[in-house]
Parts: sequence; structure tokens; C-alpha cells
Amino acid sequence: MNESPQDEPSHASPTPRNRGVGMLIITAYGIFAVSSFARALYQILTDFDASPVSYSLSAFAAAVYIVATVALAKIGPRAWLVALIAVLVELTGVLAVGLWTYLDPELFNEATVWSHFGEGYGFVPLVLPFIGLFWLLRHRPGTEAARGAAQRARR
Amino acid sequence: MTVMFLIGALVCGLSVLICWVMTAVRDHPADSSIISLAAIELYLIAYGIYAGIRQLGGASVAGEAWEFWGYILTALLLPIGVFIWAMIDKTRWSNLVMSFVGLVVFVMVYRLEEIWWGSAL
Repeated sequence: MNESPQDEPSHASPTPRNRGVGMLIITAYGIFAVSSFARALYQILTDFDASPVSYSLSAFAAAVYIVATVALAKIGPRAWLVALIAVLVELTGVLAVGLWTYLDPELFNEATVWSHFGEGYGFVPLVLPFIGLFWLLRHRPGTEAARGAAQRARR
Repeated sequence: MTVMFLIGALVCGLSVLICWVMTAVRDHPADSSIISLAAIELYLIAYGIYAGIRQLGGASVAGEAWEFWGYILTALLLPIGVFIWAMIDKTRWSNLVMSFVGLVVFVMVYRLEEIWWGSAL
């Protein structure tokens, strides 16, 4: 029962960034990518004029989540850098929009994913970028991620 | 609260529980986790058919009809998408990845009930 991950056979090399626990983080990002995209599409197609600022931000947030998901799922130093930028943009976005919705609620008469620090989504949008950042910094290129990619290429 | 919502909450809750237990006791994707995803998918199909028959019969939803169907469509894709993704790397984490479906579908059914009846509870 109490086997540690090291006991598992055939895993001599460290787990790459997009495997193991990484799969979990990518799943969370993927779900947000799909749901925020669907929401933005619905908002923009139905009544864009009602709240252009909120709806443009919804679309922007969806784009950030999609880029982050794809970059997190891909291996290699360039994908790592793209993922890092996307996660940092996401972190800035949720903090700025979160604060902004408290300071100037009038501007956001319709909710976005990041309104009130992601309150409508159980604050997951606030926690997610920190987890993503932690994961990316733990898996810098040149360490295990690069080795994993090299192994893959050799096969 | 409708019976349909109660069944949905039960199916989702059981699926999450099964997937969490399987994360602890299996180091590969467990059959029971996969079957629990299939149960969620089946529930969503039943929910969609039920809603479709009612709406074709003239019953209206409190919210926007196409927001309702957008939610159902997204929810139907979720177990399939997550299943495919979880099978890419067959480790114990596949089970934890699959547990996300129950959590998200529960929230989506809650939203569906709000759109349908005006409130879920």
C-alpha cells in the first residue's frame, strides 16, 4: 500500500512535465479553456453590446487558457517559455480583473471568468496560475523535461 | 430540486469517490473509474433526451434555450475528452484526471437546472 513513486518499475527517468501530476494540471487548464471559450462565444454571439468590456475580457481569458493548455501539454524549451508567459499573463489577468471588478463594478455589468478573483468558478481561476507557475518552475528546460524530449526523439 | 438533479448529483459524487479511491489503490487506470465516466455520459444522454422531449412537447426553460443546449453539448464532450486524455499516460494519475469529470459535470448540471427551472435547489 505504502509504495512510493520511486518503487515503480520502468520509470528510471524522471517523469516529464506533461505526464503524471502534470496531466492533472493540463486537464484543469483544458477544462477552463473549453468552458471559458464556450462562454465567451455565447456572450459575444448573443449580446456583445450589453457589456463589451466584460465580453472582450472573456474572449481574451479564453485565448490565454487555450494557449496555456497547448503549451503545457507540449514538451520542449519553447513550449515551456510560451507556457510560462501564458501563465504569467493569466496570473496578472486574474489579479488585475479581480481587483478592477471591486474598484469599478460599473464597467463589468456582466461576469467574466476573472471577475472578483474567479469567485463564480470557486476561486479556481485564482489558484490555477500559482499551481501552473510552481509546476513550470519545477520543470525547467535543461533538466528533466529536456531529457524526456531527447529520449522521445531517440525512440 | 428535481429527481433528475438528485440522480445527477449521486452519479457524479460516486464517480469522484471511485476515482479518488482508485488513485490511491491502483497504479493504472482502473476499470471502475472508466465505468463511472461511462455512467456520467449515460446520465447526460438521458438528461438530454428528457429535456428534448419536454421542450419538443412545448415546455419552455426559464433561461436561454441555446445556452441550455450549449451546456449539454459541452458536458457530453467532457467525459469523452477527459477519457482520451487520461489514456495517454496510463498511471495512477489517470484516475485522478478522470475524477475531474464528476466535479465539473456536477457544476454543469447545477447550472442546467438553474437555466431550466430558474433555480437548482
